[in-house]
Amino acid sequence: MTDLKQLAEYCVPAASVGAAAGLIAGGLAAFVGQPAGWAVVTGLGLGVPLMLFGSGYAVLVALGKVPAGVFAPAAVYWVIAFPLALLVHSVVTAWVITGSPGLPPEPWKFLAFRALVSMGFAIGFLWMQEQIGRLWWPHILDRNQYARRVVEQYTHLATALAARKAATGRNR
Amino acid sequence: MDVTSKTSEVPEEPAAAAVTEKVWKAGRLEPMPIRKLPDAPPSLHILGPTVFLVALGVGMGESYMWPRLVLVFGPDIRWLFMVGVTLQAFVLLEMARYAMATGESIFFGAARIFKPLMWFFYAAAILIYMWPGHLSAGAAAFEEISGIPWQVTACVALVFVGVLFSLLSVIYNFLEKLLGLLIGLLVVGTSVIAAIVGNWDDLGRTLSGMFAFGYFPDDAMTSAWFPVVVGSIAFAGPSGMQQMWYTLQLRDSGAGMGAHIPKIRGLRAANEAESMPSRGFMFDTEDPAEMAKWKGWRKWVTFDALLLFWGITMLVTVSFTVLAMSAARENPNVAELIEGGDRDAALKAMSDAFASAGSPILGTLFFAFIALIGLNATLGLFDSFSRGQADMTYYFVPGAKRFSMSRLYAGFLWGVILFGILILLFGPADGPAGILDTLAFLSTFAMGAYCIVLLLTNNMLLPKKIRPGPVRNVIIGFGAVFYLGMLFYCLFRFGVAVG
Repeated sequence: MTDLKQLAEYCVPAASVGAAAGLIAGGLAAFVGQPAGWAVVTGLGLGVPLMLFGSGYAVLVALGKVPAGVFAPAAVYWVIAFPLALLVHSVVTAWVITGSPGLPPEPWKFLAFRALVSMGFAIGFLWMQEQIGRLWWPHILDRNQYARRVVEQYTHLATALAARKAATGRNR
Repeated sequence: MDVTSKTSEVPEEPAAAAVTEKVWKAGRLEPMPIRKLPDAPPSLHILGPTVFLVALGVGMGESYMWPRLVLVFGPDIRWLFMVGVTLQAFVLLEMARYAMATGESIFFGAARIFKPLMWFFYAAAILIYMWPGHLSAGAAAFEEISGIPWQVTACVALVFVGVLFSLLSVIYNFLEKLLGLLIGLLVVGTSVIAAIVGNWDDLGRTLSGMFAFGYFPDDAMTSAWFPVVVGSIAFAGPSGMQQMWYTLQLRDSGAGMGAHIPKIRGLRAANEAESMPSRGFMFDTEDPAEMAKWKGWRKWVTFDALLLFWGITMLVTVSFTVLAMSAARENPNVAELIEGGDRDAALKAMSDAFASAGSPILGTLFFAFIALIGLNATLGLFDSFSRGQADMTYYFVPGAKRFSMSRLYAGFLWGVILFGILILLFGPADGPAGILDTLAFLSTFAMGAYCIVLLLTNNMLLPKKIRPGPVRNVIIGFGAVFYLGMLFYCLFRFGVAVG
């Protein structure tokens, strides 16, 4: 049975990637002298959708629907999710500037362009999630079945590392 | 997951192996003892030693020189970038063939063929890479964001890199993780910015231009532009000796027979470094099980070459080209500045165009990513240079073996840092004006020369079963003709080295 609290805890690295994107956007907005409210809206408009979609991908991995650390499924996922996240950002930004939400001009072209750029985001997302995950997941392994399941996928590699380290230095 | 966690264990061997040792004779130096090849890791992975090549390779070529050519000659000129980067992907695969089969660097391979070849690279590396000019673009971008003078940032960065690398226990593991995170951030960031400011038409034109094979406008054949075009092709992906250093990073990551060679440690932990063997190793290519493992390693490095190296280099340059095109659309003045060739003014104008078109955040973000590219290149370059020089010194300078490889690494690292600080404070950062042409010539010459070295090492020093096929040989041979041909054509026709 799915445990939502455990899932949320396991998703922290994936959500962090979106949060980092939002923080950078919002933080820089404040840094260059934009009103605090504007900076917060910009950061949230970009960060929240990317956090949610990022967590969605992590959940698919945790439930065994997608293998960990493999590029192709991530590319397929983000080709849909990334344009949608930027559409949300665009609508929110327009809302703040004009006072009413509105779609960008030529919405299909808008989505298609972002779908093409999504491949890059997919690589960066997987890359960063893995980097942050290997710091975070070991802390929650004992109490989190999802983190355990994902880390187990890497276990044979970790074992190999230990064996190789022990062996290095022999036979020279 | 770092690459070391993907490389597999070094198999146990009976103690008697040393008594009845089989060896592989390669060239004029000490034969390589036969050892077991470790199991290959899964071919689908995210990180590998290629992260160093990406960090070094994604620089001014991708973020400035190619967007500039696109604005001057149109997107169709990008087919030359496609050829340049694809050629570099094949060079990567062939560099990896020698390094993974022997655990030796390509410099050692060059010495096995003909020692003066190796000494040429030794001298060229010092001449080309001791100047700290490469720090300037990133530090100048940081100055735009923070107001801190770029010389201060560059000096602090130099000392920071020296202290950091000296304190680390095992340098490779840390750097791979750090560069992985920074490049992840760069990839995520450029994708997001390109998605916000770019549009379908810019991207469509940029992508279709990659397949406009044969397009070469008359203006590009002038003395003003031909050297720039040649320089840009040489700077598509890793330039100069960066591919050669990649063989050292492969070795330290434990890829293939590199698993039998100990890692370089920071100065603080240099005493813990294990003794270096006096040469590399070979595996038994007559054993089908070993050959199966070898195929696994080739798959692993092919994934690196295609997705990480080719894919990310393409992605970053496509993103920056789209950015340059949208900046030029927003503000025609940007196109003039970029075409004019003043790099700092052009980057500032692009940043301003984004700031006025979207919001000030975009302008600042743009500079933040230029600074990030500079930081990646600095970290990668200092490590790689020191690694390469330490390797050649340890094996080939008489008496150097009494120092450990880790101490030699630290010596070169601090040497280039102190020299860099002195030059930043008192001298010309790119090198004396009188030898700039010579340095540009040497950098491109080294690329043609390493293609020839690769052909020789991989066809003369490796067992028949793992030598490259005819197609690979033709491609690398084409690389040698391509780099050296363009370089000498430029020199004799226009009287200048690459621009």
